[in-house]
Amino acid sequence: MLMKKLLLASTALAFAIAPAFADPVVIRMVSKDLVSTNPPDVAHIERIEAAMKAKGHDIDIQIVDLPSSGYADALSVMLLGGDIPDLIYFQGGDAKMVEQGILEDLTPWIEKEPNLKAALYPHNVQRLANYPYLLYVYPPRMPQPVIRKDWLEKTGLPAPQTVDDYVALFKAIKDGDLDGDGVANTYGVTTADNTNELDAIFNQAFGVKASWMQNEAGEWVNSRITTQEKAKIAFYASLREQGLFDPEYITSKFDVKEDKFYTGRAAVIFGSSAEVIDIYGGKMRQVHPDTELVLLAPPKGPGGQGNQAIDVSKEARGFAMSALSEHKEDVMALLDFMASPEGQLMDRLGFEGSEYTKSGDTYTMTDKISTWYARFFAAANWTPPTPWMSTASQAALKQVTDNFVADNAFVFPADYAADLDATESVYRAWVYKFISGDAGMDQWDAYVAEWNAAGGTRLNEYARTVLK
Amino acid sequence: MVAQSKQSNLAAIRGNVPKAESDQHAGFLARGIRQWWPYYAMMAPGIIFFVLFHYLPIWESKIAFEQLRIIPPNLWVGLKHFQLLFASPVFWQVLLNTLIISGMKMAFVFPVPIIVALMLNEVRSGSLRKFIQSAVYLPHFLSWVVIAGVFIAALSPSDGVVNDITGMFGAAPKSFMTDTGAIRWVLVYSEMWRSAGWDSLLYLAAIIAIDQALYDAAEMDGANRWQKIWHVTIPGIVPTIATLFILNAGIFLSADLNQVINFTNDVVRTQIDIVDTYVYRIGLQTGEYSLATAAGLFKAVLGMVLILMAHLFSKRLTGKGVW
Repeated sequence: MLMKKLLLASTALAFAIAPAFADPVVIRMVSKDLVSTNPPDVAHIERIEAAMKAKGHDIDIQIVDLPSSGYADALSVMLLGGDIPDLIYFQGGDAKMVEQGILEDLTPWIEKEPNLKAALYPHNVQRLANYPYLLYVYPPRMPQPVIRKDWLEKTGLPAPQTVDDYVALFKAIKDGDLDGDGVANTYGVTTADNTNELDAIFNQAFGVKASWMQNEAGEWVNSRITTQEKAKIAFYASLREQGLFDPEYITSKFDVKEDKFYTGRAAVIFGSSAEVIDIYGGKMRQVHPDTELVLLAPPKGPGGQGNQAIDVSKEARGFAMSALSEHKEDVMALLDFMASPEGQLMDRLGFEGSEYTKSGDTYTMTDKISTWYARFFAAANWTPPTPWMSTASQAALKQVTDNFVADNAFVFPADYAADLDATESVYRAWVYKFISGDAGMDQWDAYVAEWNAAGGTRLNEYARTVLK
Repeated sequence: MVAQSKQSNLAAIRGNVPKAESDQHAGFLARGIRQWWPYYAMMAPGIIFFVLFHYLPIWESKIAFEQLRIIPPNLWVGLKHFQLLFASPVFWQVLLNTLIISGMKMAFVFPVPIIVALMLNEVRSGSLRKFIQSAVYLPHFLSWVVIAGVFIAALSPSDGVVNDITGMFGAAPKSFMTDTGAIRWVLVYSEMWRSAGWDSLLYLAAIIAIDQALYDAAEMDGANRWQKIWHVTIPGIVPTIATLFILNAGIFLSADLNQVINFTNDVVRTQIDIVDTYVYRIGLQTGEYSLATAAGLFKAVLGMVLILMAHLFSKRLTGKGVW
């Protein structure tokens, strides 16, 4: 009897103390620009583990290394090969994984995580409602135009507020020889690859309010075949014709675009986010010290004013949780911690003594902050103790948030992939033809017919079943 | 039957039964490996490479007939992906583009290294020859990203060197990179610029291997330089030309993914979209591995047919083939 009691007591004791000596929960995580060979990444992950352990959540985050270059392709190969980490950062290719039932519906999980829920931006909430598999807690990404402050001052013009103001500014730049090389060869504006960046500020001005619009008959049609789109493209063509818009945008990659900006071949370029605008500012100062960038506002035009409507059908990138993960609670706890004030301080400011110094409650940023980037989130409800971004960058954040308008784009079924691909090709090719002058605007109907024949009719028909 | 088997066993024990042919081969191979093991060791990395990246994928190409599932098992769908492929107008367009671009490269790029090798062989000054060789080999070591940058800059309608030169003769600037009629020629010329020098190495080696006595005999017969090239050098390198022609036929449908990706833009995409870019887009970017494998398998089968045709053609024309 005594032996039996001793045995029971020792078993109970073993169960009681077991958690204290249990191994940490292993969470495998794959993300772009997060690799185990980069000491700051490793140090950052280790301090996150330590902070979570102090809160009673013992986790071991194991980084799955993937190259930054070609990340989306490498990730797709890894996942389709059956290696599925618990936490996965996607930059495209997620829809296929959803189709195979690999990604978890995050909706019920986020409901249980107070910090994460509070950190979401309005566009995050809408995107999660439409597609609950990806989480990307960052301000909306929207290309926004910047110009050198000294150049804007040299033109003697105020920052443009209307479409005509923009034309006047571009003309003053072209005629003013602001780079002083004796030749009027500076374009007012340049973009990379296509006209998407121009659309960011001119869509609303010309009345292209959303991806799908109603025609005169009240039917839903793709905005790319509307009269508003035609007016906008005609405007771009006129800019090119006057030598104000770089006609070689189509063969320019982002590095060439930037190079034209720094060397004075183009005065206005678009930054895809506030961080990118800061990078442009930093690089510009390397070439022209003491130069500041100024953010330009979307112009008022015949159709209205504002930034392009933002697609809320789904996140284009972001974190997903594996539906096969055995540690979903722990993954969500990690994400919730990173959205908390403590997690944000770590993730956004870097390391004390390296990216910032602290004296009492005062934070002072060092030069190293320019190379630090958040590995997880930029929570909507977190304000940095000391702003470190440039004026232009902060203005860009405010502008994109203030001008947020949700688009009515939606996700098409996989059967429409070929139509989407073909109509996109037709649109892109014709836009260049119109802008370059290879086709006149009087050929608009020919373009619309080709777009419809390439699958546009099917897309419009499907859209009418979705949009009521 | 049983008795015969017993007899055979007994004979084997006595050692007077000839060994099976396969046993003899195995013996030869084992002896050969023991004797020449350093050479086999040097061959090993190449063999492993081909097994891993060329032969195993042949077996895995069965996913062209399956619906790939991350959580096994894959579902057998037969020819569904081939039917989808052949029903797609985009696929036939990319196949046509591939045939046109590959045909242009075969017609215009393939002969250039031969001409370069013949010309280099005729350069008498050693230092000049070395300089030319270094200059023409150099582009081979540049990546397509760099080459595309060079061509985009050189062909720029605003400040490109090509338009500057044509402008001196009164021609209007032309945007070659966005001209649907010119872009395939840009691919051909850029390929020529990149590979002509390097590919001429094999022909130069073949020329050097030609017996000097043949040249001496031709000289005694009063042949001039041109006649020596025509009657001695070119016949001497015909086997090399034939072999490389057949090998090129095998990769005829590989019109160079990297080159096309770096030279493409929105305007010319429909002209230079090839099977490889289609497979890349469908497979890696949209995750339709089975469909992409079907496209790749179809391309491989066509490539095999082309090799066989080139082999038979070469046999008939020159008496030499791959085997």
